[in-house]
Amino acid sequence: MFKYNFKYELKQLLRSRWIQLMSALLLLLFGFATYNGLQKVEERNAAITTAQDKARENDKIMVKLLDSLDRELEVSIPSWRHPTNPMVIGNSYPRVAAMPAETFAFVATGQSDMFTHYKKPEVYGFSFIEDFTEMTSPVQLLFGSFDLAFVIVYLLPLLIIAFSYNVLSAERESGSLRLLGAQPIRIETWVLQKLGLRFLWLSVLVILTLLMVFLALGIPPLNKMKAFLGLISMVLAYALFWFALAFLINLWVGRSAKNAMSLLGLWIVFVLLVPSVINQMGSTLYPLPSRALMINEMRGTQADVLKNVDEILDNFLRDHPEYAVNDTTLQRNYWHSFMVAQKVIREELQPVLDNHDQQLRKQQDWVTQFKWLSPAVVTQEALNQMAGTSSQDYENYRQQVLDFSHEWRNHFVPMVYNNTVFSKEDIENLPHFEYQPLKGTFTGALFTVLGLSLFVYLAGILAYQKKSRDIILKTE
Amino acid sequence: MITTKDLTKTYGGQIALDHLNLNVKAGEIYCLLGANGAGKTTAINLLLGFIEPTSGSAFINQLEVHKNPKATKHFLAYIPENLMLYPSLTAVENLDYFSGIAGKKLSSAALKDVLEESGLQPDAFDKRISTFSKGMRQKVGIAIALAKDAKVLLLDEPTSGLDPQASNEFGIVLQKLKTKGVATLMATHDLFRAKEIGTHVGIMKDGQLKQEFVVEKITLSELEKCYLDTMKYEKESV
Amino acid sequence: MISKTFSKETKELLREGRVLISLIIVILLLAVAVFISARQYQNINEQYKVAQQTERANWDNQGAKNPHSAAHYGTYAFKPKYPLSLLDQGVDKYTGTSIFLEAHARNEAQFSAAADQTGLARFGDLTPDFILLFIIPLLIILLGFNTFTKEREMGTLTLLKSQGISSFRWIWGKWLALFTPIFSITFVLFLIAGLVLSNLKDFGVFNWSTLVTMFLVYMVFYAVFINMVLLISAKAKKSGIALVIGLSVWIIACLVAPKMATNFAQARHPYPTAQEFAEAVQMDKEKGLDGHNPWGEEAQQLEREVLAEYGVDSLSQLPFNFDGYIMQKGEEHQAEVYFKHYNHLKTQYGKQTQVYQTLAVMSPFLPTRFLSMSLANTDYGTHWHFNDAAEKYRIAAQKLLNDHFAENSEYGDWDWKADANYWQELPSFEYEPPSLSSTLSKNTSNVVLLGGWLVLSFGMLFLTVKIK
Repeated sequence: MFKYNFKYELKQLLRSRWIQLMSALLLLLFGFATYNGLQKVEERNAAITTAQDKARENDKIMVKLLDSLDRELEVSIPSWRHPTNPMVIGNSYPRVAAMPAETFAFVATGQSDMFTHYKKPEVYGFSFIEDFTEMTSPVQLLFGSFDLAFVIVYLLPLLIIAFSYNVLSAERESGSLRLLGAQPIRIETWVLQKLGLRFLWLSVLVILTLLMVFLALGIPPLNKMKAFLGLISMVLAYALFWFALAFLINLWVGRSAKNAMSLLGLWIVFVLLVPSVINQMGSTLYPLPSRALMINEMRGTQADVLKNVDEILDNFLRDHPEYAVNDTTLQRNYWHSFMVAQKVIREELQPVLDNHDQQLRKQQDWVTQFKWLSPAVVTQEALNQMAGTSSQDYENYRQQVLDFSHEWRNHFVPMVYNNTVFSKEDIENLPHFEYQPLKGTFTGALFTVLGLSLFVYLAGILAYQKKSRDIILKTE
Repeated sequence: MITTKDLTKTYGGQIALDHLNLNVKAGEIYCLLGANGAGKTTAINLLLGFIEPTSGSAFINQLEVHKNPKATKHFLAYIPENLMLYPSLTAVENLDYFSGIAGKKLSSAALKDVLEESGLQPDAFDKRISTFSKGMRQKVGIAIALAKDAKVLLLDEPTSGLDPQASNEFGIVLQKLKTKGVATLMATHDLFRAKEIGTHVGIMKDGQLKQEFVVEKITLSELEKCYLDTMKYEKESV
Repeated sequence: MISKTFSKETKELLREGRVLISLIIVILLLAVAVFISARQYQNINEQYKVAQQTERANWDNQGAKNPHSAAHYGTYAFKPKYPLSLLDQGVDKYTGTSIFLEAHARNEAQFSAAADQTGLARFGDLTPDFILLFIIPLLIILLGFNTFTKEREMGTLTLLKSQGISSFRWIWGKWLALFTPIFSITFVLFLIAGLVLSNLKDFGVFNWSTLVTMFLVYMVFYAVFINMVLLISAKAKKSGIALVIGLSVWIIACLVAPKMATNFAQARHPYPTAQEFAEAVQMDKEKGLDGHNPWGEEAQQLEREVLAEYGVDSLSQLPFNFDGYIMQKGEEHQAEVYFKHYNHLKTQYGKQTQVYQTLAVMSPFLPTRFLSMSLANTDYGTHWHFNDAAEKYRIAAQKLLNDHFAENSEYGDWDWKADANYWQELPSFEYEPPSLSSTLSKNTSNVVLLGGWLVLSFGMLFLTVKIK
């Protein structure tokens, strides 16, 4: 039977222009989405490059200034901005802590439109509640981006539904099913083969169009074979799920119009409702402490510390006699108080900030626990991970930047208290930031989606066994 | 070849088929006559295994249908009242597909031979079904039965909606199959066709087989009278 | 004739399972959505009140201090939630809710809700606007896709034609049959929302006329959708095809067009990154007066001018503290820099808005989306409005503090402290969102676009669909 199904399904698909239409649509959608994704990545990388170039320029100026000051030449800037003061380095010559785009970043915009991709942590301005959000029009965030992930997660299922909702019911409605029923075949096997063949052709089209789009837009898929194969397998697994669903509905429901409606209902459930319900429940069960109240707390602490800053500084220096000993001048300026005040405020607020991070982590755990309820969520997250634009990626980046800002500040603490003069030799000892991307795998996601597909397929078989006898005649 | 034993089907409280006992042997054409809703189509659906009997059993070639749904279909061919094929495929392709999935592999020459035997004009072989009339589609249906070497042929109102000429041609093909030893069960309400084509005639009413005749032993007018009497008798007795 | 068609269509709809089921599902979803939103609304507003009071207390009780230290200590402006956010959350999730108001800097609003949630937040929320904007149009398609095709498929069309009915009345009856259930659901939703909101304590800016306007906007949107669905149903050969076309229209209007607009808008009229923006501001700031740098060229210049103006030789002879004076002048320069850069952002956004409006040709969803959130005061425009008000307040506060410093202390006396009670003299920050009339006048293009859709779709429906 398979050989004949294969031969004539292909003929019918070609003659009804299914394959032609599908190829054109996929080419158009994938092409436009990939182009958009690449544009965004380019923008992102350009911004980082510009920042790094500027920082390098700035460093050159600093070296020149240090040189001039070393040779006791006249410089054009006021003394409080001389880079010989370590705090000037800490504040005016920050390093760029960038999160460069990963190879497949164009696949999913993810959170990349919301969060920033480079920070320049300085000693003074960098706050404990530093905002990592990007300056984007909220309208853009609301509507989201037309990226490859959108085409795959939202639109591909609709294409699949449009071309498979009536595989069985159309034959019943036209009458050819009666003739098939008189043949020595199993109808569920026949439906499975028919849908399987459509899945096969869709897979071929997806792979070909993606390859074409990637080659045309200058992404070498062959160099990144593993990532490309990963992307393809994730897309196909997700498509398989929707075909399995079409299989179930074809055997379960009945008339074409009802099939279409049921499948669309399921699309709304899996793509729109389940994600928002999981998210809403997560944020209800593990609410993030109010940011406004957190600001209150921070301000209170800040006020208390500032009132007692002299006492705090005395205590600090008592605890760190090494700074007092080396300080021959016994000079105390603004920075001495500032550094210690910041340290105290940070320590006091740490529990609040930790609590915040912890709640967010709990929300994420909640999502991880229940995301398998919707293959759309699993696929979207897997694509985001592949692109390095998931929430976890940005959280990882945020932590690394915070750690780096800590390192950067601490680098200057002894210099400040020892009243060290910053010199050219100190430049190479300055902390340096290198982003370490997460090493996520999506095999888990792949197997989840495949497992769900299998589950739905088995439900389809069960549906058939329950009503196998009237499958041919059923009118309602 | 076609046997039913007390075959009964009820829907809810409604009896659609009431203890039907039939036996159609090889080379016989059995015509089931009756009004709409008499149970003719139900009988055929039961023989096809499209529905399950409430009680009793149906046999094709000594195999019980609902216990061997797949095996019994190797022996039978079926032409529904309004035969639909794949409109975007040609006659040859449709034939190739249906005989293919039934497990018969035929060369393209053999496919054409079968189509010719079924009476289809050769210039229509490679035309798409979407351009075919009902009579032409029916011929492709016959071809599918021929290609399958079916021992049993189930026909549901095959001549309704056919013009007299097409109907006549259809009768000729059935006679050919008869001589090949095919057992045919044909549901119809066309008395004239039944008398002309059939070897046996059964009159059904309210799910029951009321009367059976051997066609050779009865004239058309006698058959018509019996038919109308059966209908009237029931009406008066109610 | 109209009423006959109407009652026949309504009977058919009610007797069909799909209609009842989908209506029940939509109503259930709406109930859940309203419940969640109402809870969230109350929650956030309570937090808002606490935060505002605590912050004010922080400010009032900062003790004796130099006014400029107090200016650096700063204060926060919190953005409240508005009553109609119950129905349309708009971009609220993506905008910050608190602005730090300090000396020398105009800060962006911080802490958007979306940044504090998992990535799932990007899928959208189960809120009334989601149902109003996405699900109900889908419902219209499901209810109406076969309005005309079914007559043809069942063969009743020939019978109808033989009865000699007028196309206009026939279509109108069908139109009303489709509109009535949609109208009823939406009406009940808005009525409940209105009752809930007017019974909440201190519901502030809620007024019924805005609610009614919003209701009208949605009615126009649904009328447009009904027209499109009926048009498709009349032109399609089969029900299945009508359904597929209807869905494609929905996908394009509600999902694809907004996203495409986003990509075009950002590609053509990009925003700077936060860092670039900050750097550009910094550069412009350095070109002018810095209150903290009396050695700068601009400061020297100002010093000469002031001395000349007052006819004195040294700063200590001035009738005010020059430190406070120069601080204020610096502040004014910086405020101007910010004004310029934020105006650039606004211009960019204005151009982006034009992209959205161009694409509204493809999608009645876009003007509806923008109008609805404008009316709910949850749009980007209101956010700008709030930002501007906060900035205005910041500038006024800086002036108050600097003037106090200048008038009450001696030149060079940085140790001078204002009285601990002085801080209460700063008026509190009060914000009034734009009024209904100003919202509407800002949205005339959206009103025109949506009206255009209405007229055009009605015209197409009644002019091209003939019973034949």
